Amino acid sequence: MSAVLIHDPTLRDGQHAVRHQLSVTALRGYAEAADKAGIPVVEVGHGNGLGASSLQVGRSAVSDDLMLSTVRDALAHVKMGVFMLPGWGTSDDLRRAMAHGADVIRIGVHCTEMTLAERHLGFLAEAGAEAHCVLMMSHMATPAELASQAALAVRYGARAVGIMDSAGHFLPADVTERIGAIGAATDVPVIFHGHNNLGMAVANSVAAAEAGARIIDGCARGFGAGAGNTQLEVLVPVLERSGFPTGIDLYGLLDAADFAGRELMSAPPVTDSISIVSGLAGVFSGFKHQVLDQSRRAGIDPRDVFFELGRRQAIAGQEDLIIGVAAELSGRRGNAA
Amino acid sequence: MTTSEDIAAVRPGTSMPAAVAVLGTGAIGQDLVSKIHRSGVLDCALVAGRNPDSAGLRYASRLGYPVSAGGIGAIIAAPRPFDVVFDATNAMSHIEHHELMRPFDTLLVDLTPSRMGQMVVPTVTGMHAPAARDVGLISCGGQASIPVAHALARNFEVAYIEVVSTVASEIAGRATRLNLDEYVRTTQHAITTFSGVLDTKAILNISPAVPPATFRTTVHAIIAGDEPDSGLVAAVVADAATQVRRFAPGYEVIDCAVNGDQVAVCIEVMADSDVLPGYAGNLDIINSAAILVAEQHAARLLFAARTVVPR
Repeated sequence: MSAVLIHDPTLRDGQHAVRHQLSVTALRGYAEAADKAGIPVVEVGHGNGLGASSLQVGRSAVSDDLMLSTVRDALAHVKMGVFMLPGWGTSDDLRRAMAHGADVIRIGVHCTEMTLAERHLGFLAEAGAEAHCVLMMSHMATPAELASQAALAVRYGARAVGIMDSAGHFLPADVTERIGAIGAATDVPVIFHGHNNLGMAVANSVAAAEAGARIIDGCARGFGAGAGNTQLEVLVPVLERSGFPTGIDLYGLLDAADFAGRELMSAPPVTDSISIVSGLAGVFSGFKHQVLDQSRRAGIDPRDVFFELGRRQAIAGQEDLIIGVAAELSGRRGNAA
Repeated sequence: MTTSEDIAAVRPGTSMPAAVAVLGTGAIGQDLVSKIHRSGVLDCALVAGRNPDSAGLRYASRLGYPVSAGGIGAIIAAPRPFDVVFDATNAMSHIEHHELMRPFDTLLVDLTPSRMGQMVVPTVTGMHAPAARDVGLISCGGQASIPVAHALARNFEVAYIEVVSTVASEIAGRATRLNLDEYVRTTQHAITTFSGVLDTKAILNISPAVPPATFRTTVHAIIAGDEPDSGLVAAVVADAATQVRRFAPGYEVIDCAVNGDQVAVCIEVMADSDVLPGYAGNLDIINSAAILVAEQHAARLLFAARTVVPR
C-alpha cells in the first residue's frame, strides 16, 4: 500500500491547549525529539498560525520570529511547517516565514471560502514555495462542495489540499466520503486533520488513509484544543499495521511523545463533557477556554453557549462572538449601550 | 477637532447639487448610487463599470442615471470634470485611478483599502472639508472601530488595540477577498494614526453563516496603569456610538466588557439602505461616511460659489 506522510502540528495546534504559551525550551526540546524520530514535517506557530497572536484568541508567549528560528535550528533532517489564515496573517508573514526557512506553508480557510486564499496561494506558487491548503470546519460543507473548493485551491497553486475536522464532528464514513470526493476532483496529495471530540480521531484518520489521503496530521499525546487532535504516537503504529508505511522510528516517536507529555502540557487532553458538547454542536474546540471563562463570568451553562454558537454557525476566529452570546444568554445584552 | 455640530450642518439643502460619478458596480457601488439618489446635494452624473450586463449598471439605469461600461476611461472622457468621483473598485486599481485623475479638479473618494488618500473617519477627523483631493475611507472595520478606539485612547492610557471584524460571506465580493492584506495593513495604520497607540492589530473574518451574520466589530484594548472603571468605559463608548449614529443609524454597541486591564467592545452595524440586506452594515457604514464626505465637499463648493457673487 502507499506511504502516508505524517504532518505534526503539535507545536502549532497544541498551542490552543496552553493558551499559546509554549516556551522556547519546550519548542526546541520537542522539535529535536521529532527530528530524531524522523517525523517528516514539524509545524510551529501560534495556534491560529502566523501573525495570529491576539487578544481575540490569545497572545503568544514567544514571537513568531523566535518560534520559527528556534524550531528551524532544532530540525536537522525533517521539514519545518507553518500555518496561516488569510485575514489574520498577511503575505508579509509568509515572506518572513520563508526567510526563516519554512519548507511547507499551509494556508487555512473556512471550508466554503477558498477564494480568500487565491492571493496567498498565488504568491506562494510564484515564490516556488511548497504551499498546502486546508479547508477548516469541514463538517459545515457537503462532500461535493469540499471537492470543488479543493479543486479551486489546486488551481490557485496548492500542491496538497485537504480537510480539517476542526470540531471533531465526523464519523469514519463521513471522512471516507469527503476524502474520496476530494481525491476524485484533484491530482495532488489529500490531507486529513482530525480532532478527537467524539473519540474518533484515529479511526477517522485510518478511514482517510484508506480513502486515499496521503498526508495525515497527528499531535503528540493528542496535544490540541479541547479533546485534542489525533494522537500521533497511536496514529503512526495503527497506520503501519493497516499497511501505510510512515518512515517514522517507533522508539523515537514514543520518546517525542513522552517529552511532550512531560514538558508541553500539565495534563494530556481528555474528552471531557464540554469537548463532547462542542463536537456535537459542531463548534471549533479552540473556543473552550474562552467559553468557560465567559460562562463563569456571566453565570451561565457553558454547554448552552456551545450549542448557541453552533446554531449561529460560528467559525474559527470568531471568538468575540462568545462575548456576545454569553451577554445575550445572561440577559446582559444592550445594557451597555 | 471633532464635530458633531459640523456633521449636523452638512445637509444644507440646495438647488445646486454637486455632480458625482461612481466607479465600480458591485454591492458598494450600487449602495452608493442609492445613497446619492437619497441625497439632496449630490447629483449622480455617471455610473461606470466594466461589465455592460452588471446588476449595478442595470440598477443605475433603472433610476435614470447615465451609465457606461467604459470604467475609468468613461470618467476621464466626461465633457466636464465631476466634482466627486467615488472609487468602489479595488486597492490595486485605485492606485492607477489616483494617477489618472491627477489632472482634474475632482475630489476622489476611495472606498478601497489602498491607503493612498487622506484618511477620514467622520466623527474623529471632523467635518472640515478635506484639503486633499484623494480621501480614503480606510475599511469597514476601520470605520466601525476607530470612533471607539479614539474615544478609549482619549480617556484611558491604552497600550494596545486590536480590532476584529466579521463580514458575511454573502456580501464579501472579489475585491474584498483579494484585498485582505491591504485591509489588515490599512486598518492597523489608521487605528495607530487616530488613537496614537503604536501596537495595533486588525483581523478580518468572513462568516459563511446562513442566514448571514450581521456585520460585527470588536475592539479589544489593553489599558495600562489603573484598572479602568467599567461605568466610565461604557459611558465613553456610548457617547462615541451616539456620534456615529448621526450618519450611520444602524451602529449599535451590543456589549462592553471590562475584565482586569482588558476592555472588549462589541459593535454591530445594521445597514440602513434601499439596496443592501440588513446584515451588510460593513458596506453601509463606509458608504455613509463616503456620502458624508461628498456632501460636505458639495457644501463647500456651494459656499465658494455664493461668496463669488456674479455682477
